[in-house]
Amino acid sequence: MSEQSGLGQVLGLVRRAPAIKRRLGRAVWVAVLGSASAVAGFVCVGFAVGAIVGGADELTPVLWWSGGALLGLVGGFLLRLLAEHLAHEASFEFEVILRRMLADGLARMPLGEVQRLGSGRIKKIVHDDVKALHNVVADALPFVGSGIAQPIAAMLALGIVSWKLLLVVLLMVPIAAFAMSLMTKDYAEQRNRYNQASEDVNAALVEFVQGMPVVRTFDDGSTSFRRFGDRVDAFTEAVAAWSATSRSAGLLTRLFVVPLPTLLLVAAAGVPMLAAGWISVPELTIALLIGAMPIEAVAPLMHLTNYINDAKAGAVRLTELLEMPGLPEPVAPKLPADASIRLDGVSFGYDADRLVLRDVDLEIPAGTVCALVGPSGGGKSTIARLIPRFYDVTAGAVRIGGVDVREMESAEVLRQVALVFQDPFLVQGTIAENIRLAKPDATDDEVRAAAEAAAAHEFIVGELPDGYDTQVGERGGRLSGGQRQRITIARAMLSGAPIVVLDEATAFADPENEALIQNAVARLTRGRTVLIIAHRLSTIVDVDQIVVVDNGLIAERGRHADLVGAGGRYASLWARHEQASRWGLSATQVQEATR
Amino acid sequence: MRRILRLMFVAAGPYTAEFRKTMRYSVAATLVQAAAYATFIPLLAATAADPVDTGRAWMWVGALAVLVVVEGLLRAREQAFNYDTWPYVTQAIRRSLGERLRAMPQQELGRRAAGDLTTLVGSNVISASTSISLLSTLFVQIVTVPAVVGLVVLLVDWRLGAVLAVAVVLAIPMFRWIQRMSNLGFRSVNEADAAAADRIVEYVQGLPVLKATGQAGADSPRLVEVLTEQQHTQSAANRSATVPVAGAQLLVQLAMVALVVVGAALVLDAELTVPLLVAVIVAAARFAEPLAVAAVLVKVFELSEAALSRIGAVLAIEPLPVKAGGSAPTSFDVRFEGVSFSYDGQEKLLRGVDLVVPERSLTALVGPSGSGKTTITKLITRYADPQEGVVRIGGVDLATLAPEELLRHVAVVFQDVYLFDDTIRANIAMGRPDATDDEIQEAARAANVHTFVDRLPHGYDTRVGEIGSALSGGERQRISIARAILKDAPIVLLDEPTAALDTESEVVVQEAIDHLVKGKTVVVIAHRLSTVVGADQIVVIEDGVVAQSGRHAALIADGNGRYARMWQAQLAAREWHVPAGVNG
Repeated sequence: MSEQSGLGQVLGLVRRAPAIKRRLGRAVWVAVLGSASAVAGFVCVGFAVGAIVGGADELTPVLWWSGGALLGLVGGFLLRLLAEHLAHEASFEFEVILRRMLADGLARMPLGEVQRLGSGRIKKIVHDDVKALHNVVADALPFVGSGIAQPIAAMLALGIVSWKLLLVVLLMVPIAAFAMSLMTKDYAEQRNRYNQASEDVNAALVEFVQGMPVVRTFDDGSTSFRRFGDRVDAFTEAVAAWSATSRSAGLLTRLFVVPLPTLLLVAAAGVPMLAAGWISVPELTIALLIGAMPIEAVAPLMHLTNYINDAKAGAVRLTELLEMPGLPEPVAPKLPADASIRLDGVSFGYDADRLVLRDVDLEIPAGTVCALVGPSGGGKSTIARLIPRFYDVTAGAVRIGGVDVREMESAEVLRQVALVFQDPFLVQGTIAENIRLAKPDATDDEVRAAAEAAAAHEFIVGELPDGYDTQVGERGGRLSGGQRQRITIARAMLSGAPIVVLDEATAFADPENEALIQNAVARLTRGRTVLIIAHRLSTIVDVDQIVVVDNGLIAERGRHADLVGAGGRYASLWARHEQASRWGLSATQVQEATR
Repeated sequence: MRRILRLMFVAAGPYTAEFRKTMRYSVAATLVQAAAYATFIPLLAATAADPVDTGRAWMWVGALAVLVVVEGLLRAREQAFNYDTWPYVTQAIRRSLGERLRAMPQQELGRRAAGDLTTLVGSNVISASTSISLLSTLFVQIVTVPAVVGLVVLLVDWRLGAVLAVAVVLAIPMFRWIQRMSNLGFRSVNEADAAAADRIVEYVQGLPVLKATGQAGADSPRLVEVLTEQQHTQSAANRSATVPVAGAQLLVQLAMVALVVVGAALVLDAELTVPLLVAVIVAAARFAEPLAVAAVLVKVFELSEAALSRIGAVLAIEPLPVKAGGSAPTSFDVRFEGVSFSYDGQEKLLRGVDLVVPERSLTALVGPSGSGKTTITKLITRYADPQEGVVRIGGVDLATLAPEELLRHVAVVFQDVYLFDDTIRANIAMGRPDATDDEIQEAARAANVHTFVDRLPHGYDTRVGEIGSALSGGERQRISIARAILKDAPIVLLDEPTAALDTESEVVVQEAIDHLVKGKTVVVIAHRLSTVVGADQIVVIEDGVVAQSGRHAALIADGNGRYARMWQAQLAAREWHVPAGVNG
């Protein structure tokens, strides 16, 4: 795939939208017509001059030719304008089509895969990379049309008027072709080095800027600035190296792929030819007017390489994302019998060769609370992700209400499970819109009841200017962390999902509103099947089942009192927890003498 | 346009002299170029004479040849800047921006999003330096060629010159119009892009909810809505920017036609000879070209002006002034004397704060988020200067200390740990670049870094980026504490260092902190009050003022005080647990 040329990559994407492909084709043809018309206009100018020279008394031919010139030039101009318009409109539409295709693909992909890619990277592909295609699709393609048509039309016209002068103009072709081949040659080595250096500079830059608080307090400049400076220097060298290899081509282009040398050639050949009576003054005039057109049309084509190279990387990423496999959906979807959860011999690995869960059995009866504890990286979050089918298991089965999640529609699985384990997620819009997201047809009363249960109603009507109609700002920026958290709990309430998966660390991130959130969580879990990833062990002493997950295995399970009594893995975690919560800084500590 | 040239000179920095020279070459080359086009007038006059004046024609061909060669030589000199100097201009701008970022007041830095700064030093610098090397010469050409050709035509026949003059006069408001429309369009497209990008992020993050409720996929209503809106904005902006550009280009073409018509009329009236008319037409075609190009380039000029002025704005930010009369502090108590501070000059974050942190004592700052706790610690690092009052270390006003001097005395452990993509050793050594390996290892041991470094592939030489997410939050935090231990600064600021850790990491990070604070003047921001009950003083900050301060026991004794209420609430929350299920 990636060996394909940049243009091939972009065209491959265009081919996915046949209607756009046809519209772009039309735009190219209009551009070709426009170029031909412009050339014809210049030829008419030449003949108008000829008519004046030929018979100054006769006004009619002069007017006719002048009329033709006007028509050709203006017509050519308008046609090119139309071509540009058509190409731009098609390109804008193409962006929408492509983005919607991507949205569709994302909706079909395993959610875990989407999360792994990350919203930042996906945004870059779906927004920025698609946008970067615009230059090629809207600007470059019609350019190709006129860039090829104009020289051909100009040479044809000149050939008809005076083949001798055409031969003179053609003398420039090898030089221009040589310059062009040098210029458009892909200096892959230099380009890769440049791209690498450019990426390095950006990485160093991000580090330098983001690490600034550390830099300010820890670094006298010797470390971080040197790292930044080194990368800038490496970039400079890469650019200088590239410049050095392309400078002769660039100069050659700048000196010869411009009109003057061609015009000089035409003049130098034209004078003796005219003196010898081989050509007429109008012929020479026409040659001077359109002789440089082929060469002028070639110049912008050379920028095309840059455009295409710029869009290539993005086009490759887009193609990759579009071709990512989706989760298989069942042909005859089933519905769960109840809200129980069961893992039967589940093994799972993000990479095929490294399992993060091995043969895990777990049973959570409907309406009970199960807490997962254990070290970070032990497998707790992976178990939590497998239940709503963020990934498919490598071996074994995850069942909800007795049905394998792979035999349910993936949307149905998500309707069964409310997730409160991400960072509180809010969309731009009002508070009511945000809660209603979980059930688009919910009535105002339902929304309000959910907010009340989530301990959110009070701050919504008491503290926000427009109550439920308050705009939450970009990603909920106008709300505090605890408020955002309660909105997402309200959403989970409204969804009516019988299963709740909850990450305690994010649920209780706001120490000031701890009590309120605790009440909200207590109401959310009531009557539901709950899986909670726990960090602070004191919060889970009452739950029905505590499962210690370590190293991809279930190390222990049971109730708090029994596990503490057993003196195993959980008991030592509990001891640690007790130790940590006893810790505090004290005055005596800082008064001790320095070592 | 003058403004953009001035900005270019600012950005050229140390290469100003070369840039000026290049501009001179460019003007010279362009004048020669224009003169070359002008020679077509006498040349064609000679060829069109009846009979052909071969001698004069050859003379003008010779002149043309000389001019073409001279232009080529001058162009080669002009281009040298593009090829030889451009990379170094980029380098110089980036380095001086880097210096500025380090030196500017932290507050100024905090006002700018990290992403914006990355764009500034990344792509804005490229477009600025490109405009210096490429756009400047184009600019020269666009202005000079029409001027010279126009002048020559005017000399040939004033009426023909007048036609061109009218075209130029009409074109100027057109260019203004293009500028305005493309600016407007640019802004509206930027807004639509930002909205679409945000909505895409939203879509990805909300996919589980959206999918459950049938709002995901190609027809996702929230997504389609904003994408369609974006398409309309793009189309409208494109149309409104195209109309004036098209107008300007059409104007130029019409001027050409008008020239032919007026010229023909003059010839018919025998006021102009045919050869001269032909020559004028050929030359005038050259007059039109740069104007048409200019119409397209206005947009590019606007963009690079924006980039140049953003760079100029950052380069103009001065570091905080260091007042005279300061001496290095010899003792390390921290004092706030009537300090008031505001970010924007309106809303005060701190109001008349008086605070004494004696040397080798532990002070805890507590209170609701947004009350001003973090601002107090920031002012100790001279994040910005307070509008009123003084912050002192060992009696010395911070405003009289050079940044490097202040830096030596303060170590900060942040809640969000930032590690550089370098080895673990280098990340620790940042605390004291001249530390020996033994000292680094000792600091690492004290911070409990040793325990996990042993299992890493290259020990202390493992690069942080290589293992990336393999380091847990607690491990990263321990590296940052080792950095602070190695630095051994007399004042230590802690911002909730164990807030986001799990139980197991918490214990080892707590041990690391115990090592760090030994014998130091410590200011800690704490949410969990239980972690600071042993402090020398607990300061309750509320709404930018010190609401209460004292030892834990004394504060608790005032049962109605803010602190006692916070304490009660936290005790209750600590007792809470998830209830068992109904079927459990």
